[in-house]
Amino acid sequence: MINVKDLVKIYEGQVTVHALKGVSFKIEQGEFVTIMGPSGSGKSTLLHQLALLDKPTSGQILLDDIDVSKLSEHEKTAYRLKNLGYVFQEYALIPELNAIENTYLPLMLLGARRKEYTRASTELLEKVGLGNRVHHLISQLSGGEQQRVAIARALVNKSKTLFADEPCANLDTENKGIVLRLLRQLCNELGQTILMVTHELEQREFSDRVIWLRDGIIEKEEIISKEVRDSALREEYQVI
Amino acid sequence: MRNDFQAAIFLVYKYITRGNKGTLILTIIVTTLAFVQINFISGVLSGAIELAHQQAKDNYVSNIVIQPGKDEDYIKQVPLLKNKITSMPGIISCTSRYTIGSNISYDPDKNGKDVKSISWPIKSINPKEEMRVTNIQNYMVAGKYLEESDRDQIMMGKEISGGFGASLEVQSLKGASVGDEVTVYYRNGVTRDYTIKGIYSVDFPLSDMAVFVTEKEMESVLGVHNRASEILVKTNQVHTEQYYIQALRENGLDKEDIRPWTDFFGLMAGLTQTFGIIKRIVFAIGLVVAGVTIFIVIYIATIGRRKQIGIMKAIGMKERIIIVSYIFLAFFYAILGISLGIVLLEVLIKPYFISHPLNMPVGKVSLMIIQGELIASIVCMFVVSIIAGFVPSWRVTKENIIKAIWG
Repeated sequence: MINVKDLVKIYEGQVTVHALKGVSFKIEQGEFVTIMGPSGSGKSTLLHQLALLDKPTSGQILLDDIDVSKLSEHEKTAYRLKNLGYVFQEYALIPELNAIENTYLPLMLLGARRKEYTRASTELLEKVGLGNRVHHLISQLSGGEQQRVAIARALVNKSKTLFADEPCANLDTENKGIVLRLLRQLCNELGQTILMVTHELEQREFSDRVIWLRDGIIEKEEIISKEVRDSALREEYQVI
Repeated sequence: MRNDFQAAIFLVYKYITRGNKGTLILTIIVTTLAFVQINFISGVLSGAIELAHQQAKDNYVSNIVIQPGKDEDYIKQVPLLKNKITSMPGIISCTSRYTIGSNISYDPDKNGKDVKSISWPIKSINPKEEMRVTNIQNYMVAGKYLEESDRDQIMMGKEISGGFGASLEVQSLKGASVGDEVTVYYRNGVTRDYTIKGIYSVDFPLSDMAVFVTEKEMESVLGVHNRASEILVKTNQVHTEQYYIQALRENGLDKEDIRPWTDFFGLMAGLTQTFGIIKRIVFAIGLVVAGVTIFIVIYIATIGRRKQIGIMKAIGMKERIIIVSYIFLAFFYAILGISLGIVLLEVLIKPYFISHPLNMPVGKVSLMIIQGELIASIVCMFVVSIIAGFVPSWRVTKENIIKAIWG
């Protein structure tokens, strides 16, 4: 569960930017929430604070009742490794590693045995439809396939929450469909909490709820009905 | 900790095996050349210094020189003394010499018109004894070495005779040859005519600027017997010269002036000291160049992977794993660079310079890799590679994740 209380982020510089001006909301375990809003509304900033990639100016973030704002840098690193998964806009894989190596890296860092992390990674890659691409180098994979490897890597540590920052931004329509359906499927089947930032309106239909941001504050919240979701899964990006 | 180490090894292995091969090869070549450069220049200068020292010991004054004590003109009871010296442990042999100032005159056309004249001390040798202490007999470039019975024969180095590639024309007879006659005006008033029996060249100025007659001839000139101006002592070099000097003193030679060969090195001492200073400077510069090279390569590699490092931190990789992986990478460059450098030095460069030595004022110099210096350069290269791996990776890992990923 994610509980955000009065989150403020101010970027100091030649021009002071108030990116988040006191944001509060809750996300339940297993919920798929989309954050939307125009450019500069604070979507990515909010995601970075929740994913412990940046430090908020004030406010409180509770992840499963742990006040992560109080953790040291070392503790945050360990928390990210054990509990969080992250899918970046630009695939963000290590080019010298192949698909399975990129996937099992977090498990290796957690000290898992080789047999264990190889099995878990193979299963996840099969789940994201890359069972036949396990030993392919990143340069040998398409953009969509790379993003699916990134999703597998974000899930391999059995993360409680998956953060996705514009995961479809660089993908064609076919691959957008594959990635979004995969995220929905993970939420439905594994009970994965997903927080996704996107600026493409139709993508919100895959989630349970939408938090609309404008100028650093929550403008409104929108619940996506089951009918809309099912319709999106059927109609949007119908490629697989 | 073990996991961190394994992860760092895993990453560096993948960087090496799957990274850009061109960059890898270029870095290793540059590291190899930097290592070779340090040891090559250092090796040439070490070779020159060592050769100069060896020449002094083999062809000039041997290891130890015994001279008369204060207020004495000669060392007395020389045969007895020599027996005592050679019976001491660690002493291989010794030989006695007389030395007296002279003026040597050479009239090539024998008409008194173009007489060459130099003022130079003349030394005597006991040929049989001398051959057990110095190696001059092996460097005859014309004529023959002196024999014990020679009385009207003289032997000189090429710098005195002139010719044979002599480079110092300060005290030279400008081309005297074997068979030519010279007149020697000894400082004690005696004048003798000698035929040049042999000319030698050891390619060491201090040795090649010497003139010898036999001991018997010199004793007749000086009117003395069983005395000496100096005794050269050859040791087995197991211990330092000071050790043997102390032993000689303890064995009764307490009145004589006993000194190591280094005291007779004269100008050459300054030269070898200068070589030593240059060597250390070149060594230091070479090390800095090698260090900067590895540093730049790792720096470019880390800056190029800035975003990747940010991502690794974002997924929960500890900073120390990233830093250690780059230190290992720098270590790998250093290990390969050093190994290839050693192979290049030992298999190609050293054998080449042994068969094609450099002509230098101290003789024919070949490369001399001193083990201690080689080890020092290896250790320094590793230390430099640790720094070169650590600093840039540490700087990038300290960057904010957001800044590293999105700039």
